[in-house]
Amino acid sequence: MSRSLNMPGSRPPRTIWEAISPFRLIGELSETRYWMYLLLLPSALLITAVVLYPTVYGMQMSFREMRLNRPDLGNDWVLFKHYVRMINDPIFWVSLRNTAVWVTSSIVLEFLIGLIAALALNRDLPGTKLLAVLILLPYFLPNVVAGHMWALMLDPRMGVINDLLLKVGLLTEYKAWFADPTTAMAAAIIVEAWHSFPFFTLLIMAGLKGIPTDLYKAANIDGAGAFAQLRLITLPMLKTIIAAAVILRVIGLVNSPDLLLILTSGGPGRSTQVLSLYAFQMAYKDFNFGYAGALSVVMFVFLMLFAWAYVRLSKVNQE
Amino acid sequence: MATLSIKGVRKSYGSLEVLSNIDLELEDGGFLVLLGPSGCGKSTLLSIIAGLEPSSGGDVVIGGRTVNDVHPKDRNIAMVFQSYALYPTMSVQRNIGFGLEMRKVETAARESAVAGAAELLQISHLLERKPGQLSGGQRQRVAMGRAIVRQPDLFLFDEPLSNLDAKLRVEMRTEIKRLHDRLGTSVVYVTHDQVEAMTLGTKVAVMKGGVIQQLADPQTIYERPANMFVAGFIGSPTMNFLEGTLVQDGGGLVLKHAAGALVLTGIEQDVRSHIGRPVVAGIRPETMSAAGGASTLQGSVDVVEPTGPDTMVIVNVGGQMITARLGSRDRPKLGAEMTLAVDTAAVNLFDPESGNRIGGDV
Ligand SMILES: Nc1ncnc2c1ncn2[C@@H]1O[C@H](COP(=O)(O)OP(=O)(O)OP(=O)(O)O)[C@@H](O)[C@H]1O
Ligand SMILES: [Mg+2]
Repeated sequence: MSRSLNMPGSRPPRTIWEAISPFRLIGELSETRYWMYLLLLPSALLITAVVLYPTVYGMQMSFREMRLNRPDLGNDWVLFKHYVRMINDPIFWVSLRNTAVWVTSSIVLEFLIGLIAALALNRDLPGTKLLAVLILLPYFLPNVVAGHMWALMLDPRMGVINDLLLKVGLLTEYKAWFADPTTAMAAAIIVEAWHSFPFFTLLIMAGLKGIPTDLYKAANIDGAGAFAQLRLITLPMLKTIIAAAVILRVIGLVNSPDLLLILTSGGPGRSTQVLSLYAFQMAYKDFNFGYAGALSVVMFVFLMLFAWAYVRLSKVNQE
Repeated sequence: MATLSIKGVRKSYGSLEVLSNIDLELEDGGFLVLLGPSGCGKSTLLSIIAGLEPSSGGDVVIGGRTVNDVHPKDRNIAMVFQSYALYPTMSVQRNIGFGLEMRKVETAARESAVAGAAELLQISHLLERKPGQLSGGQRQRVAMGRAIVRQPDLFLFDEPLSNLDAKLRVEMRTEIKRLHDRLGTSVVYVTHDQVEAMTLGTKVAVMKGGVIQQLADPQTIYERPANMFVAGFIGSPTMNFLEGTLVQDGGGLVLKHAAGALVLTGIEQDVRSHIGRPVVAGIRPETMSAAGGASTLQGSVDVVEPTGPDTMVIVNVGGQMITARLGSRDRPKLGAEMTLAVDTAAVNLFDPESGNRIGGDV
């Protein structure tokens, strides 16, 4: 405060009332460098309450015994017991592998379909405006609805997909898609890609709008064909947007068990068991919140590492 | 190097006609400037020459070859865009060499060509940078480098200097002229800056509303503009238009105007058809002086604007404002009566109805 009194333009208070007037004090505070922190305080409090506290609570849970169906065990600190169990848990390792397959394949498929759709819709042809809205429809469906809808369409006895494939001649008999370990994962990935590719379409379309058309004119004169233009101009210019979209989708895919929960519940066997699903089942079927918490912390760490490595590798920050 | 001819080129967007029946000829090694106000179709014409836009009719012939259906990359042209259109994710080196890279020129040959172009434009020290790390003038040079490195038959420039500040614009203008003298490649250059047009062009096409108003060398455009639009568009301050009636007085011609009569001597135009009819006399500000003489205009001084080398004086001649460019020492008093001597050999007479120069092009 004494510093601020020396600032040009501020004069000493004339009366005691003026000296303790809140307006005067705020006015003086706003001239100091602490003002910034004061302004940040409300949002910092809010973030602490709704983000930081639950996260930290979840983390400390992973170091405790917490089985709701075994109150006799108490809820003491158990240090790394859950993490040690995880290392020796074959289901964890299967889930980890399945998560990698699930996330990678879904992202690649969603990105490719999303990119193609965005490029097609970016042309100024009649009807593309309407199509652009229609193509976003899958993304508007909640995962649960999309999951049940596809479960019905892929149903072994009355599903429309079997019927169609049979009529076209691609199948000779009805197939139980989610009963076979190899087709279960593939079918789930296709449903996921169908549901989420519009996310990529939307972001890529926004990115495409930002690329000056002069660049393509210049490239045409320079002799770059359509593929070279895509590879050397469009994709590099979309790099930041694609990186952001991939990170967001990976986080979504790693964290949400809902689609797989509805389509396969992790089966047949453990063939579509992913980490998020395992943690979910651990918490809400086995009521073992301690172990579920540990699984979540591992996912959290993986995601942090992934995001960090991805941003580094894609060099998004360098321009 | 190549000639360029444009024959009856038209362009419409739906029912909107943007270019109507454009005819142009450019000799080998010439410098054609397309000059006109915003929206008159200059960029559209350039895009049609480049093949970036299809025309709605007519032919584009480059070096004797009709290229209507030829892809831009096979027209052997290079273009510099107003926005420069540098590839933001590539280094300057790769930007300049991109056309060669796409044409599968070997790396060694490409690098030496890029180095040569960079040296010519004094940007060798910038080759590793990205366009985002360059100033406007440097980007401009890189865009030029990308154009010259391929040694095309024809350069197309779309307002390449309009994003630069005034000083840099003058510098780059000189540079472009030097480059053209050195390379000898034909150029089509779009601008709405008449000084660029006059200084650079071997030929200037003045356009308005998708129509070429006049196609001639800069001197002809300046001294004998085909109509009042061209006359008014070129020159700063703009040409004065003095309305009056043309009468025959003994052997000579006289323009009777609201505040007297201007004796017209040395007129080159054939104006016999307009004797006794209203005409507009186009008088350039610099063809007037503060001295007396046979052909004079009288009026009161309205505004005096010293610009340094000259003094612009606006004189009210019978209600019509006439701007004269006088010497820096001529500082008439405001409101004073003043006599302006007119070099009437430089006067152009226009038909007030059509706006055209009487007697057509000489
Ligand atoms: N894609 C388009 N659709 C409809 N009209 C267009 C299109 N492109 C250009 N025009 C119209 O064509 C006319 C000429 O445009 P052009 O870009 O050639 O003008 P310009 O002479 O280059 O102007 P400027 O000096 O502002 O660049 C303008 O009236 C413009 O509105
Ligand atoms: Mg233009």
